[in-house]
Amino acid sequence: MRKLTAILATAILLTGCGGAETADTPPTVRLLVFGAPEELESYRTLVDEYVKVSSGARVQLVEASDREDLITRLSTSIAGGSPPDLFLMNYRFYGQFAAKNAVEPLDDRLAKSTVVKLADLYPQAVEAFRWQGRQLCLPQNVSSLVVYYNRTLFQKFGVAEPKAGWTWNDLITTATAMTRNASGTIVRGTESEGGSARVAVYGLGVEPTLIRVAPLVWSAGGQIVDDERKPTRFTFEAGPARDALRDFVALRLAYGVVPTDEEVEAENDESRFSNGRLAMLLSSRRVTTTFRTVKDFEWDVAPMPLYGKQPAGILHSDAYCITSGSKAKDAAWRFLEFAIGAEGQRILASTGRTVPSNIEVSKSPAFLDPTQPPRNAQVFLDAVPTIRRVPTISTWPEIEDATGGILENALYRGDKLDDVIRQLDEQTRPIFARGVSP
Amino acid sequence: MTLALEGVRVAHGAHEVLHGVDLTVARDELLVVLGPSGAGKSTLLRAVAGLTPVSAGRVAIGERDVTRLRPGQRNVAMVFQSYALFPHLTAAENIAFGLIVRDVPKAAAAERARQAAASVGCGHLLDRRPGQLSGGERQRVALARALVREPDVFLLDEPLSNLDAELRVEMRAELKALHARVGGATLHVTHDQVEALVLGDRIAVLRDGRIEQIGTPDEIWSTPATTFVARFVGSPPMNLLPADGPLPGLAPPGRLIGIRPGALRLGSEGAVASVERVEVVGEDAHVYLRLGEHSAVARIPSAERPATGSETHVMARDADVHVFDPTTGKRV
Amino acid sequence: MSRRQLGFMLAPYVVGLVGLVLLPAAATLVLAFADYDLVQPPQWTGTANFTELAGDGIFRTALLNSLVFAAVAVPLRLLVALGLALLLHRRAPGVGTARTVAALPTAVPEVAYGLLWLWLFNPLYGPVNQLLRVGGENGLTALGRTPPQWLTDPTDARAAIIIMSLFTVGESFLVLLAARLVLPPEVYELASIEDATPWDVFRRVTLPLIAPVLGLLLVRDTILSFQVSFVPALVVTDGGPPPYATTYLSLFVYRNAFEYLRYGYASAATVVMLLVTVAAVILQWRLLRRWQHLRARG
Repeated sequence: MRKLTAILATAILLTGCGGAETADTPPTVRLLVFGAPEELESYRTLVDEYVKVSSGARVQLVEASDREDLITRLSTSIAGGSPPDLFLMNYRFYGQFAAKNAVEPLDDRLAKSTVVKLADLYPQAVEAFRWQGRQLCLPQNVSSLVVYYNRTLFQKFGVAEPKAGWTWNDLITTATAMTRNASGTIVRGTESEGGSARVAVYGLGVEPTLIRVAPLVWSAGGQIVDDERKPTRFTFEAGPARDALRDFVALRLAYGVVPTDEEVEAENDESRFSNGRLAMLLSSRRVTTTFRTVKDFEWDVAPMPLYGKQPAGILHSDAYCITSGSKAKDAAWRFLEFAIGAEGQRILASTGRTVPSNIEVSKSPAFLDPTQPPRNAQVFLDAVPTIRRVPTISTWPEIEDATGGILENALYRGDKLDDVIRQLDEQTRPIFARGVSP
Repeated sequence: MTLALEGVRVAHGAHEVLHGVDLTVARDELLVVLGPSGAGKSTLLRAVAGLTPVSAGRVAIGERDVTRLRPGQRNVAMVFQSYALFPHLTAAENIAFGLIVRDVPKAAAAERARQAAASVGCGHLLDRRPGQLSGGERQRVALARALVREPDVFLLDEPLSNLDAELRVEMRAELKALHARVGGATLHVTHDQVEALVLGDRIAVLRDGRIEQIGTPDEIWSTPATTFVARFVGSPPMNLLPADGPLPGLAPPGRLIGIRPGALRLGSEGAVASVERVEVVGEDAHVYLRLGEHSAVARIPSAERPATGSETHVMARDADVHVFDPTTGKRV
Repeated sequence: MSRRQLGFMLAPYVVGLVGLVLLPAAATLVLAFADYDLVQPPQWTGTANFTELAGDGIFRTALLNSLVFAAVAVPLRLLVALGLALLLHRRAPGVGTARTVAALPTAVPEVAYGLLWLWLFNPLYGPVNQLLRVGGENGLTALGRTPPQWLTDPTDARAAIIIMSLFTVGESFLVLLAARLVLPPEVYELASIEDATPWDVFRRVTLPLIAPVLGLLLVRDTILSFQVSFVPALVVTDGGPPPYATTYLSLFVYRNAFEYLRYGYASAATVVMLLVTVAAVILQWRLLRRWQHLRARG
């Protein structure tokens, strides 16, 4: 019996010893992120550099597999009492945590900081992370939608490349001209899937999601919600919004320039582009890191085509937030200063992952490096002034999930437009009602 | 229908179990296959039924050679040692099973089942399930099931061995009466020699896959063909002594003499013997004797039994002596 | 064995049962009447969650999907398990390997299993559709139709989930195999002497004798069906294709709890799931008892 007690006591002591830190060792800052393998590589580079220059700081990168996994880990660890100190999140999804007071406001620290000043950052991105009068997170990037295109393919088929000032009709024409079969002849992708014209290269790839449709609506002068600050419903039934939706679904049903749902399921758009079977892809800066690994062809970016009278972009921005339950806020803030400061932004920009939120860095060779694709990176900066954002209410993730399915069916199955608009409205009204606005 | 086995061999893998068995059962004859455990009796039965394949030889039922036919085509009926009644069916449904499966109309099948049940004396049990029947009742149901089909051959695999002694005696008599009424070539397998002697029209003694002797009960009893048959039938078993042993002069030297316990006389004449032990079984006493280096058993009326350890004299009558060749074991 | 020893032997199981099953179940029951997001403390809301569930179209779809899945997949799974058990119960060369193969999919971790089928069902490059296209031209099957669009057509996606569940019958298969092997062989020998056809033997001998085990497996599989569909729906179809074609109750609960942080709402849905399961079990139990009763009375 005494032997048993002795063994048990030793075991308890040892486990207790394992995690003990003396007062001298700095606390380990835990940063929670997610992304594709190439994106994660960028964050690892940033963290390694920080550790080098800060002599003794310890940062642990916690990698989640996707957005849902990150949210789950974050909420369960907050409930468990040991949340990560920092997490990186898109402005569209941080609202649910902001509304629950899980994020530490940064105004006081910002005021005292010598490294980071809000004036150095693009206001469009900074404002996205203000919640009820306080600055909750600091953005690392500010990207809009651009058109990635496969230069080699364009040269091969002899079609004019996309350029500044081109319109939606130009996009359609170009995409139609680039949709070809295996022998290189132009085909219409709208013929039934079992038809003889089996498309080998599609002209355009675009996700049927709300954030791809919204810029079209804004460009035509319309609105997607009734009140941008405190939205209660979608307003797709009105003129410009309805037209934008109709023109969007026409990409598949009328023109057949985007892959069918079966083909997207078999091979997603990014993979299709990397394999040289997609001429153009509408996306944000995020995919640049993946495409930089492509060696078989040349690619570049072009601005979004002008749909309506005025150019409009949509904000893509991720920010670092400190959790209110963190036990190492000071250490976390020091990392934040580094990451958002010029030095950290330069490092991340050179990996290709971000369009830096720091205005100066974004104009420097760290971002505009002409030796790395996309050479036309200036396009990202030109888009910033006309960037707008979707409402950042706390239930926005649910709204995106609900609308995603409806828009998918609209694009691929050709559901009637009025039904689509009605469904968009009906299914999201209760979700809007539950949401908390900044 | 007659049943004939010619040179039947059965093997389990590389190991042969039946070594060339020849057997015939006449119409309406009840032949008992008698032998110890492991002799191959059940294997023989299963070979006739078609449940075990025959590696050589021929099985014929009537004019038909059934050796290559599957069991269902041979038109035999079998009663298993465990009766093999379907636990989820009533007695009536069990009996009618073979008919239903052959697409006999339900009403006709039920009527025939009723009649078969009545003939074996379980007509009042038709609505019960096997779980609600006693051992003897189950056996009757199994018999009725075999009867109802009016097959060419009946095969009975130790049907009485699961019954207690008293019931066994009663069922034995009923079985004999049933066979007398219904007829049909029947092959009945048992290890109980009393059962064989009572029931069989003829007995075939089987040992290690070979037939030792086939004959009427009388022949088996009074003229056993081998020492094995001689000792297997009869209880206590026949005494075997060398001809020039303690009881000389009954046979030429070099032979074996067999004397049934009942044929030994104890008294004041004959060879000297000491009494090792005495078992009293009702009116009889079995006296275990020691004659020099040999032992023998005598059966005498219980009243005349000697005391254990005492000395007495043993003698046998000439006419009660059987003579065997010691090397072959065969009768001489 | 003394009561104290019995207590010690049962203790680990009871501790696990209480700690991992009963207490969370009680917590779920309580949470169903509250709003809880894991970050702020729970707030009591009475029956508001249930009222919202009643009006939630997605919940109704999920419930219907789960019920249909149970109604279709459970009998099919039992049929497959029974077929395999009857096929593989005899001794024959290679039957041991065959049995292992039949039980193997159940041993594969669920997520790995799901990912495998994600590849198998790939509409253009997956082996299933490649095989179906053999003998056809231009991407059609030999019969001139398009191969099923496993992951993009609602009905085909539901069929895919059901097909996936047909291979993980290892447990039922083993139970039925054991049940078949303990049936007395003489009864089958007798049936062969009576010249019964294999169908007769199955219908009149095997099936009635195995029926009690089948009944038990039916009840068990019905309870399990609410969980069996979860990992495939999560990993392979992600609840789609729209609108919510393969969103089952379990996935609905998962989404609301772990993605939208609405644990109270998800708990309410779980309570409904529990009630539906209990109702299904009671219904089946009574039907089975009634059937047994009818048989016993003859």
